[in-house]
Amino acid sequence: MANKTANDSFLERVIMYLDGELTKQEERELLLEIKETPEYLEKFKIEKSFREFIRSKITRRSVSQNLIQNIKDQIRTRPS
Amino acid sequence: MLNPVNPLNPSHFINFAPVEKERNNDQIFEEEFLPQIDALYNFAFHLTYDEDDANDLVQETYLKAYRFIDKYNEGTNAKAWLFKILKNAFINQYRKKSKQPTKVDYEEIVSYHDGEDSKYAGYLDMREEIFQGMMGDEVTNAINALPVDFKTVILLCDIEGFTYEEIAKITDIPIGTVRSRLHRARNMLKEKLRTYAAKFGYKDKRK
Repeated sequence: MANKTANDSFLERVIMYLDGELTKQEERELLLEIKETPEYLEKFKIEKSFREFIRSKITRRSVSQNLIQNIKDQIRTRPS
Repeated sequence: MLNPVNPLNPSHFINFAPVEKERNNDQIFEEEFLPQIDALYNFAFHLTYDEDDANDLVQETYLKAYRFIDKYNEGTNAKAWLFKILKNAFINQYRKKSKQPTKVDYEEIVSYHDGEDSKYAGYLDMREEIFQGMMGDEVTNAINALPVDFKTVILLCDIEGFTYEEIAKITDIPIGTVRSRLHRARNMLKEKLRTYAAKFGYKDKRK
């Protein structure tokens, strides 16, 4: 049970670290823990690579120049 | 010699002080709002999964932003402000289209009954070799298949890099709900990607 709680706490901090939500001190403590525990390093690498995978694979789209022009035209012609 | 001023000539008003403010608003619009347009369009496209709807949403967002530009504090977080406008415009469109009364957010009820300690108990990991062979389309489809509240937090956090606090403000939910929603959304996404992977013959041998 104690192990499960430690594991949950570790995962929670990994997730917050990857989301940029830990303080510098918390980050240092987490990275030290990861460095000292091979099992934690494995879990950390899996979550980190999943995040990087999602970010790299998502289809990114750019807006058309027509839309930008339409918006500008509508703003220029709007009644004051 | 100066030309006499004709107060009935509209061109005369162009040189008055209110126009100076208008010019400032135009500069804010050009320099702070327009650079965010690709990110907004990307968000709109993933919310609607339709190019025309995404164009309409982005256009509505920018016209509203310009109309209410006086409410924006120059030099602050234009991206978060615009995303909030777009998210609200999307909800309004979505409600109109679905013609459904506002539903009780079941996810918040689940969060309420879940203890903080059990928050990460259901964490799913996903081995790298399972997902590395996938193309972008499968990821886009998997994100698109998520319920809208879950899709929203994934897009805002993992794709756009907003903080929990910014997401809470954009979506009008408490930070604790942002965290639990993100946790569930990522688990759902992993499950969907696992299903895609299984279709292509990849299996997690630990199961």
